[in-house]
Amino acid sequence: MSIAESVLDAVRAESALHGGARVTRAGLRIGELSGVAVESLRFCLEVLVADTDLAPLGFEIESAAWTRRCRACGAVFRVTDARPECTACGGDDTEAAGGDQMELSYLELEEP
Amino acid sequence: MRVPLERKVLSENDRIAAALRERFQRNGTFCVNLISSPGSGKTSLLERTLAGFDAARRVAVLTGDIQTDNDARRLARYGFPVRQITTGGACHLDASMVERHLTDWPVDELEILFLENVGNLVCPTSYDLGEEARAVLLSVAEGEDKPLKYPATFHHADLVVLTKIDLLPYVPFSMELARENARRVQPEIEILEVSCTSGAGLGQWNDWIQRHL
Repeated sequence: MSIAESVLDAVRAESALHGGARVTRAGLRIGELSGVAVESLRFCLEVLVADTDLAPLGFEIESAAWTRRCRACGAVFRVTDARPECTACGGDDTEAAGGDQMELSYLELEEP
Repeated sequence: MRVPLERKVLSENDRIAAALRERFQRNGTFCVNLISSPGSGKTSLLERTLAGFDAARRVAVLTGDIQTDNDARRLARYGFPVRQITTGGACHLDASMVERHLTDWPVDELEILFLENVGNLVCPTSYDLGEEARAVLLSVAEGEDKPLKYPATFHHADLVVLTKIDLLPYVPFSMELARENARRVQPEIEILEVSCTSGAGLGQWNDWIQRHL
């Protein structure tokens, strides 16, 4: 719920940066490693937004994959089943490459 | 009109956390954020740690709970400054709570600041508190699959402390599998085994702290 509140704060801040334009839709990018369950976040956002000046704001939530980069062959690969080994060359020397995002990816603003 | 953005949802928390981190680094304070499920032994580990410290050491604890100041009272017995953060519902600490609870404390003189997060293996993960290191505690009574079930939490940790190892004869827990699962999620993670009851492993825990000072 506090993350959903932070999302609305972020939407308000960005709307203010764009002359207070009315926001009709917001895009969110939530990584598999962010610790946020997309469905819970969607539920919290819908509950929170209903009673505010932002209603009826819609959300599009996109999930970002958990990825690692191979230090040997350079491939960036998606981690499945928590396997850190490179899926291209099989090497086990890999580093974190993504999946912890929790960001506002776009806003759709009403034309003035 | 669509405006593309890359705005972090928790940018305000991150801003406060960055300021805290800068302050801790400037003053040589080692700040560690302890995360675990409720009942994994965060408070017990801190009790044993504080009990072993010389009274002259400059150590303090902020301990978070949804309700009660029980933990602060337990920890205050060791003579070091302790403050309870009662979140009143929030299932995690955030950077502004830490910042608020440090006011009028001699923070800049501390060598170690322990942040005991609210017992929860999910929500604390997203909130940077300005710590230098993040330790996740996992008790052997919980099962060795926790790193796979809560990968985000273990992925963002520097250290896993496997606690309550004195219970190993009584619970079906594979130390080897727990270590393997933690390393799958975070290959660089350090792993310690402790028992606050027998005292086993507390030396390595203290060495780990000492290494960061």
